[in-house]
Formats: sequence, structure tokens, C-alpha cells
Amino acid sequence: MASLRLQGLTKRFGDVVAVHELTLEVPSGELVALLGPSGCGKTTTLRMVAGFDVPTRGRIVLGDRDITADPPERRDCGMVFQHYALFPHLTVEQNVAFGLEMRGLRRPDVERRVGEILERVGLGGLGRRYPRQLSGGQQQRTALARALVISPRVLLLDEPLANLDAKLREEMRFYIRSLQREFHITTLYVTHDQAEALVLADRVAVLMNGRLQQVGAPEEIYHRPRTPAVAAFIGLTNLLPGRVTGRSGERLVLETPAGTVRAAGAPDLREGMEAMLSVRPEHIELDRPGEPASRDGVNRLRGVVQERTFLGSLIDFRVDVGGGVLLRVQGRGGAPQRVGEQVSVSFDTTAAWALPRREG
Amino acid sequence: MSVAEATVAPARPAGRVSGRHLLILPALAVLVVFFVAPYLNLLLISVMTPSPRAAYLRVLTLDNYARLVRDPFTWSVVWHTMWLGMATTALSLVLAYPLAYHLARSPRGARGALMVLVISPLLVGVLIRTYGWMILLQDTGLINQLLRALGLRTVPLMYNNLGVLIGLTHVFIPFMVLSIAGTIQGVDPELELAARSLGAGAWRAFWRVTFPLSLPGVIAGTVLVFVLTVSSYVIPSLLGGFTVLTIPILVVRTITELFNWPGGSALAILFFAITLGALWVYLRLAGRTGRTT
Ligand SMILES: Nc1ncnc2c1ncn2[C@@H]1O[C@H](COP(=O)(O)OP(=O)(O)OP(=O)(O)O)[C@@H](O)[C@H]1O
Ligand SMILES: [Mg+2]
Repeated sequence: MASLRLQGLTKRFGDVVAVHELTLEVPSGELVALLGPSGCGKTTTLRMVAGFDVPTRGRIVLGDRDITADPPERRDCGMVFQHYALFPHLTVEQNVAFGLEMRGLRRPDVERRVGEILERVGLGGLGRRYPRQLSGGQQQRTALARALVISPRVLLLDEPLANLDAKLREEMRFYIRSLQREFHITTLYVTHDQAEALVLADRVAVLMNGRLQQVGAPEEIYHRPRTPAVAAFIGLTNLLPGRVTGRSGERLVLETPAGTVRAAGAPDLREGMEAMLSVRPEHIELDRPGEPASRDGVNRLRGVVQERTFLGSLIDFRVDVGGGVLLRVQGRGGAPQRVGEQVSVSFDTTAAWALPRREG
Repeated sequence: MSVAEATVAPARPAGRVSGRHLLILPALAVLVVFFVAPYLNLLLISVMTPSPRAAYLRVLTLDNYARLVRDPFTWSVVWHTMWLGMATTALSLVLAYPLAYHLARSPRGARGALMVLVISPLLVGVLIRTYGWMILLQDTGLINQLLRALGLRTVPLMYNNLGVLIGLTHVFIPFMVLSIAGTIQGVDPELELAARSLGAGAWRAFWRVTFPLSLPGVIAGTVLVFVLTVSSYVIPSLLGGFTVLTIPILVVRTITELFNWPGGSALAILFFAITLGALWVYLRLAGRTGRTT
């Protein structure tokens, strides 16, 4: 296996900068998810790695070889396209055999390896079918098998689950993960679905407007986002503007429109700086209105329930905590609070995360 | 009601219809709708008895056919017409395919402009266009003048098969380009990229993926051009002079010079049957190779 390194990768289409100075490493055998909203340059990045687009600037290094100038057929990348790109005139077997034939393998070897991989992805017995005779999930697995059978040095997946229904998507997540672990294959996985990225990836790279925002383990990205944009993009969160007014032990003290809050914060935050406070809805608890002052380790605010939405296992509240701030709170199914009720809103100081507010 | 230039063929063969046999429908529709009625009339006349005084006598006979079939001259003209049809079709295919590929893969804006260029031969009437070629091709024409000026030998380009081939290819090539471009446009460019990343060079990716998927368009285009070529009259007679004899020319001469309506009709019917037979064989073969690639 080989590691994949992107160094200062830039792609311009006329005036549009699709990808800007992207530097990213996919360590050998790991799965890195490239996560970002639509149009942020994910596909463009993948196409450059696969050799379909020529970077305007920057280098692509696979293992110890610079492949920036290599044509696609010499890169040894297994690519799974968003719409699978299965060859419609070839059967499943022939689709999967294609890469092996291009590598000049002998017929019996081709047949053996095709048989093995089809068995492995659960398509044994469907080899003689044409792609149009397969369900979405089966087409998906054919595309995976076709990419994996050539034992590529790196596996590239472009939103491979975007066209599947929710249930199948869930299944395939775990399935892809286990295949990737089993084959121990360096993988760059493109998705706009943050849940998918968090579940699947060893590391998540968040891309926005062609710029890399943050790279880190899923927990880190989720709990310790480095920019407001990342915080807003990953999961649900409440973002409150504030100003750092001091420190209290490990915690920062922030003045927000809803009151004083203590929070964990990015190390580069200094007193007097403008900040953004992120609190996840599931980390907030609602109680009867009681002691409004904050206890050690817990922030407490007073509020009024504005909205209550039943979501099955959860109840989604919007709570007015003053200063024009509506906090979103997710309570367990049986939460008794009603609209108009006075409540006490509390969350741990560790669950509140302050990050620097900069534009862009 | 000669077998004249059939410029009535639809210019948009159904490129994306699945099942390649459906793809011959446009060509078939042309044959059926525009030829069936006149042909029924022809069929009737072809079994009448020729007469020097009237168009024909209302006496049924199969003699017209018997005489044609036994005459080796008939077969030599049939063969020559077929040959011309195949040569024109082959030349059009070779010239049209790269053009069609380019057309189908160019950005939307450029595609419109290219499309106009491709169909431009059809925008000029057949006579004017053919006279244009005569100016270029004749012994004292532009090309030969140029050759002479360069001190080279002149080449007879007109009143022979070469001239007819050039003229026919020029008019019918748009049908080929449009048929093929239609199917190539329906082939996802990502398929070729997928083949590339699986280890196929650009050339191999094309032959293994794009080309087989464009076969329906190739088949539609070749059928269309072949049918149009073997039934064309104006171009072979003008550019071929008296040296190139094809079935349509022979039919017209039999009727207008020999006043033999039944004989000419029988020849037209016979050739119609032969053409259908040839197409049938071609489609069978094409269908078979299409399935094995
Ligand atoms: N061939 C091209 N010509 C011009 N602009 C392009 C081209 N390809 C992509 N772009 C632009 O580059 C930007 C990034 O596109 P890209 O396809 O990489 O986005 P993406 O992150 O894959 O989005 P999605 O999630 O919608 O697939 C977009 O603004 C897009 O319009
Ligand atoms: Mg994309």
C-alpha cells in the first residue's frame, strides 16, 4: 500500500477557482473522507488524482512517485464514480474483468479473481447480468468490485452512496468500511454527507469553496470545529456570537447576547477577541426554572419554549434565551416541556466550544 | 416517378432508442411511406406487356423479369451500383466518424455551429452543388489547373467512378455524421474515463467502450447512406457522364429512351428486392457482431 499526498493542489476553470492550494495526506491504508457542500471542489480534486483533470498547480504523490503528469491508465487508481459508470454493453463479469484484461492477465487468472471478488461483494450468481438488470445497490457493488479487483494503490470514491435509498445507504456504509479494512487500501472518499464521513473515515477533511478548512479525526471535527463554517456544516449546532472577556481555570468566559457563558475554546483565542460559541442541541438540557446562576462546570440560562416538534425518538425545541437568541435543543422523547413554558437551559462548559470569529 | 434523389429522409435518426433494430425504423419508414405507393404502381406495370404504340398492353406476363434475370448486363449494373453504394458508405463512415465524435464531445455552444457546417451540403440544391463539383473536378477544373501549374500530371476526376464517389459522399455524409453523433452523445464520457483508470490507453478505451456503444448509430447511418446512394440519380448521371451506369440511370433510360415502361419497372422492382435482401443480410451480420463485442 501507498500513501497519497496532495501538495498545494490548485485547479482553475477560467475565472473559477474550483480547488485552492489543497494540501492533504491520505496515510497508507487509511480512509480519508473529503467532506464539503455541493460545488466545493470534491469531484474536481478526485478527478485530478485519477488523472482526468490536469491541476493548474501543485503535485500529486502516490507512495514515492510523483504522478502529477501521468495519464490515468498508469496511475493505478481504482475509481468508483457517483453514477457508477458501468459499461452498459458488458456483463457484470466482463465489467469486473476489464481492468484485469487491460493488465494482460491470463484468462484463467482473470476468471478466478473475478469470481472471488464477486463472491466477496455478494454478487455471486449475478455475473452474467447486464448493469441495467441490476438494482442500484447491486450496481454499486459491481462498481466497487471493478475498482477493487485490480488491487489499486489507492481507491477513489465519489459520493458512492448518494444514489441509494436511506436504508441501503446505511448498510453500504458499514460494508464499504469493512471492505476497506479487509483490503487495507488507501482510500479517498468524497461525500457531502457529514454523517457518512463521520461513520466511515479515519480522518475527515472538510473542504469549502475549494479551500481546506480542517483535517482531523471524526470526533475532533465534530466536537472541536476550527471555524464557524465547519461547526455549522457538521451536524446540528447552535452558533452564538460572543466576546472573550476572561479565563476561569481551563475555561474561557464569554459575553454573549444571552448572558455569560463559560466554554472550552480553541487555543488561539485571547481575551478581547470576537468569538463564536457552538453548542450542540443534544448537549443542552431543559429543567424547571431554578437557580439561574451557573454552577461549576455547568452553564445555566433562563428561557421560554417557543416551539416543540416531535421527531420520534427525540423532541426538538426552540428556546428563547433572551438577547434575540433562539437555542435549538433536542430532548429525549418524553420531555414534558410545553410551548410558552419557562425553563432553565443548561449545558456543560466542556460541551460549549468557542472558536475565533473571522470572515471567510 | 423515377428512383430519384431521395432527400426526404429524416435527418434525425432515433439515436437513443434501445434495441438496435428499432434504429432502422427511420430508414424503413422512408422506404415504406415514400416508396410503397409508387412501387405498387410500378409492380403492376412491371407485369404488363411492352408495346411500341402505348405505354404498355394490359396483358399479364413475367417475361420482363425473365429477360432481366437472364441478362448478364443487368447483373453487372446491379453489382456496380452496389459497389458504388458500399464504397460511398464506407468512405462516408471513415470520414464521418471522427467528425461525429468531435461534434458529440464539443461544448454545447460550439456544437450548434459545427452542426450547421455539417449539414451545409444539404442547404444547396443538388444541381448547383453538382455543378460546383464539376467546376472543381473537370479536366480543365480548379484541381487539375492547380496540378498543371505545379507541373504535375492531371488526374481524371470527372466522368468516372471517382467523381461520382466524391459527389455522393459529399451529399450523404451529413446523414452519417448526425446518426453517429446522436449515439455518441448518448454515451457517457465517464465510461471512457472509467476504462482509462482501469488501465486502458485512450485508444483502447475508445475501441472497447465508446465504439461498441456507438454501433447503433453506425448501423443507422450506413443503412441510410447506402439506401440514398444506390437510389440516387442526379449525381451519378451528371458527374459520371456516360461512363458510369447505375440502376436508377438504367431504369430512367429504359423508360425515356426505349419507352419500355414494363421493362424499366421490372428493373426497379428487382433492384428494390435485391437492396432489401442486402440490407437484411447486413443487419443480421451487424446484429451478430454487435452482440459478441
Ligand atoms: N469543467 C468545468 N468547467 C468549469 N467549471 C467547473 C468545471 N468542473 C467543475 N467546475 C466548477 O468547479 C467547482 C467545483 O466543482 P466540483 O464538481 O468539484 O464540485 P463538487 O464538490 O464535486 O460538488 P457536488 O457535491 O455537487 O458534486 C464548481 O463551482 C463547478 O462549477
Ligand atoms: Mg461532485
